[in-house]
Amino acid sequence: MAGQVIIALDGLAFGLLLYCVAAGLSLSLGVAGVFQLGHGAFYLAGTCLAWWLAEEGSWRGFSAALVVGAAAGAVAGGGLGDVLRHLREHLDQALATIGFGLILVDILTASYGAQPRAVEPPPGLGGSIGVLGRSYPTYRLIVIAVAAVLATVLYLVIERSRPGILVRAVAADPDYVAALGVQPRRVQVVVMAAGGALTVSAGVLGAPILGPSPGLDSTMLTLSLIVVVAGGLDSIRGALFAALAVGQIQTTAAVAWPSAAPFLLFAVLIAGLTWRTRRHANTVRVT
Amino acid sequence: MAHATTREHGAGHVSMDPIAQSSAVHRPRAAHRLVVAAALLAAVVAPGVLDAYTISLATYALVLGLLASSAYVLTNVAGLPTLGQGAYLAIGGYTAAAISHTITTNGPAQLIAGAAAGAAAAAAIGVLAARTRGTTFLIITLAVGALTQTLASRAVPLTGGDAGLAVDPITVLPGASLVTVKGYLYLYALVCTVIIGGALTLMLRSRFGLAVRGIAANEPRARADGYPADTYLWVTYTVAGAVAGAAGAILVATRHTIAPVDGGFVVSGLALLAALLVTRTLVGALLGATVIVAVRDLIAPNVLAGHASALLGGLFLAAAFARILIRPLIHRSEHAPARRSP
Repeated sequence: MAGQVIIALDGLAFGLLLYCVAAGLSLSLGVAGVFQLGHGAFYLAGTCLAWWLAEEGSWRGFSAALVVGAAAGAVAGGGLGDVLRHLREHLDQALATIGFGLILVDILTASYGAQPRAVEPPPGLGGSIGVLGRSYPTYRLIVIAVAAVLATVLYLVIERSRPGILVRAVAADPDYVAALGVQPRRVQVVVMAAGGALTVSAGVLGAPILGPSPGLDSTMLTLSLIVVVAGGLDSIRGALFAALAVGQIQTTAAVAWPSAAPFLLFAVLIAGLTWRTRRHANTVRVT
Repeated sequence: MAHATTREHGAGHVSMDPIAQSSAVHRPRAAHRLVVAAALLAAVVAPGVLDAYTISLATYALVLGLLASSAYVLTNVAGLPTLGQGAYLAIGGYTAAAISHTITTNGPAQLIAGAAAGAAAAAAIGVLAARTRGTTFLIITLAVGALTQTLASRAVPLTGGDAGLAVDPITVLPGASLVTVKGYLYLYALVCTVIIGGALTLMLRSRFGLAVRGIAANEPRARADGYPADTYLWVTYTVAGAVAGAAGAILVATRHTIAPVDGGFVVSGLALLAALLVTRTLVGALLGATVIVAVRDLIAPNVLAGHASALLGGLFLAAAFARILIRPLIHRSEHAPARRSP
């Protein structure tokens, strides 16, 4: 029983991290209408930053990685959003962001040496705490707390605040927002920048759990795409439920029955799609 | 008449688009025929001219070309952009490998089994996937591809895991000796590609193919005309799965190995890129695949050793932005005769 709780905690940490990544993707797709397949590369960039600046575990290096990562993610995300506006078809955006991702991953891979790297948590967070009589890494509990705060802030901003209302209005009807005197493009670029910053920061935060390694970018991209589709292309709340489910599948199910995880992920995808299709028939047909 | 041309983009006129497009399919221009003939001639004489390494690359280009053809059918004909055809290549390839280990070394039999497995898997996935459109379809196919790759690397007893699976050489005729010479394997792949490409061309020119183009151009209109759009697109998705499965069987027959990464995200992306890179025709997909393999395996090692994927990334970017730069020109040339004709 205690063992299962430990694994479920791992799943919660991973699910919340995944939510931060998927939220960026969901915002860029739902609000800015930009299909960002370089998202996994952004996450990998975050883990690489943490490895460069804080491999041995230092507060200064770790906070530097967070600040630099958030800034670089914002600039790259916003810039990408601005450039991709010119490609109106999602297919072209997909091609362009795959290309961007391939180049970024190629550079990052050369820098960390194409082998799995471990990143130490900041000093004082490297130990473990007793949970139900078992020892559990302190840093993972910190990740759960920080990611939960990020998720709550994101949820409150999008669902409750005035800027959040603007963002949702741009997603629903950019022309109407333009008629109100707000440039939708500006909102879209800001949202892309926020998504980029969130994703790279999540990479820095997650690095001590899962350091830079080959294939990490495509894993994160696939999982966050599954979260976005299953949770709804424009629903930040649906993405949270889907991310938590995927987090549990990747840990609990992967321990119990390793080859079942892909099937379960696909089941989540189908369940999310059919449930939303039944609720409102038009959401699936997004072009 | 002038009224009709000014309404080029009007709702009432959109249903004419598939017919306008399909007329190009029915009457291939002389230039297009010349390109096909030249490409075929070059492909046939290639083993006499090229060295063994280049021949093995050309063989892989045919495999990627077939995968690109399946992506072409979905993306350019049915209007369903796909990033997951690699999944069916893997399913076809592992099926051919299993047949080779247990039943027969006969290449054509493995090919049929691979195509059937690809079709069966696509038929099952297609029940869900072919009901979605646009970005949702793109994401679902991507997820299917990634999950299939994960499954292939975890199902070690069947697939040998990430290390891959070694497969015996094939025979082409019952009782004949094993084919191991690279040039002959290339010709086997070429013959298979031509047969499958010919069959696809016939399908695309049939009433069914025209109906699928019509659905892609204006689905509400096609539905109103009584075409069951979901069923037609499901059949197209299944056929594309069969072609990708056949590509997997040819890969196994000619390279004697298969690993999960052979059907991974990058391969699916390359297939989509090949389908869009040169021209939007079936032959264009094959040529696109040749260009991609040449860039990755011939040019990249000399120009940017160890950074082939960055060079491919550049190719993706170029394709994405070239399409918006070139589109106005294509648009003009398509409409210019229509303006002059009345």
